[in-house]
Amino acid sequence: MTQSIRDRADTIATFRWVSVHLMETLARWVPSTPELEVKILFGRHIWEFAQHADALGRRTAELRAPLHFTLAPVNAYAAVLEELATVKGTAERLHGLYQAIIPDLEARYHRYLGETNRLLDEPSVRIIDRILADLARLQADAAETAGVRPDLRLADPKWPERLRTRALEVASFVASRSGSLAEVV
Amino acid sequence: MTATAAPVKTVQGVTLRLDPAREPCFTVVHTDAEMADWPGMSDQSRRERLHRHMNNEAAALEIAAQCLVDFPETPWDLRMQLARQSADEARHTSILLQRLCELGGRKGEFPVANFEWCVTLMVDNLPGRLALENRTFEAGLIDILGSLRTTWRAAGDATTADLLDGILADEITHVRFANRWIKRLTEDDPRILLRVAQAVHYLRAVNEALGPQPGDTNIVGTTFTQERTQAPAVYVEARLEAGFTQDEVLEVLRQAGFRSILPEELK
Repeated sequence: MTQSIRDRADTIATFRWVSVHLMETLARWVPSTPELEVKILFGRHIWEFAQHADALGRRTAELRAPLHFTLAPVNAYAAVLEELATVKGTAERLHGLYQAIIPDLEARYHRYLGETNRLLDEPSVRIIDRILADLARLQADAAETAGVRPDLRLADPKWPERLRTRALEVASFVASRSGSLAEVV
Repeated sequence: MTATAAPVKTVQGVTLRLDPAREPCFTVVHTDAEMADWPGMSDQSRRERLHRHMNNEAAALEIAAQCLVDFPETPWDLRMQLARQSADEARHTSILLQRLCELGGRKGEFPVANFEWCVTLMVDNLPGRLALENRTFEAGLIDILGSLRTTWRAAGDATTADLLDGILADEITHVRFANRWIKRLTEDDPRILLRVAQAVHYLRAVNEALGPQPGDTNIVGTTFTQERTQAPAVYVEARLEAGFTQDEVLEVLRQAGFRSILPEELK
């Protein structure tokens, strides 16, 4: 079944909320992360998520929603992202973002591509294709950084997997417009 | 000036924002006098210059990033500029770290000071922070880089000179977007000019309280001469490119004793 314009706008707006949230999470981490190589990694990737948010926000305006329409996800998913945002350890930040949340985000983008009409919704598809390529590069960057900082160890090695499982448990992260804090940023 | 409950420190009676996180290998100091700064271009001096610049770029990254956190209601297009600046400063930090290592240096080899962060983060509004970090510190870096490229090249290190040239181009864009946004925000709300003026006044007071005086020496015995405490020669062409008006450049020139790197057509 073809998704309605409103459904697509809401999903794109939710991806936008997540992108802005991850941009802000990285920005919050930069001054409080001591390890220079990781600080640099986070700093470089702030711009990546900003660009994703920008492209997604321009697309919402083409889907009969406001420019930069932004929709907060369902509470359960927002809670997972908040747990990540508040971790203090550098290894937790590194593994939590790049091995738990970004893979989950990739899966959600792929699901969107699988469900949308690729011709009718081609502009969204192109944006998401580019985002997926970026996310793969971001994970490669993180792996390289982890390689030069083998001293960074997780206090609880199973925590990233638990975080990812909690994210996975949220089947659909799109909230209804009326029940969510929709905003234009 | 800060309205938040952010952690602070006191240096010689001046209240400043507490330093951002640094690894234990770094010795964090709080004044120019505590920095190991040598004149000339000895191997040690070259490494220290790169080390200091690397840490300053990290601080610039941290300031831009913290502005994204502290001012979420900022217009999206300005947030995009701050995000881009964050990535640029991160790249600069990485480039300088790599060059430092190529020249035999290492992280933490010399003391570092986070003056720009500690001052700028005391300001509780974005126009004020842009006025300090982008329009003052980064514009000052434009002037410094204008001279430094020549200094490194003359010392036989074209590689570092070329890197600084690339960094200079990025810094011009950071100053330019700040100039444009301060102008735009001020047009929308003239009271913002007061916040900008307050921020600049605050920086002047901090500089007067903490800046070295001619005749002082730093921890490695280098004397702060009149020339070393003076503002660097003004890179007129780059400042104009960065969106300063001719009147503003003339004012900066006046403050720098009319020492300038002149545009090609005026030489």
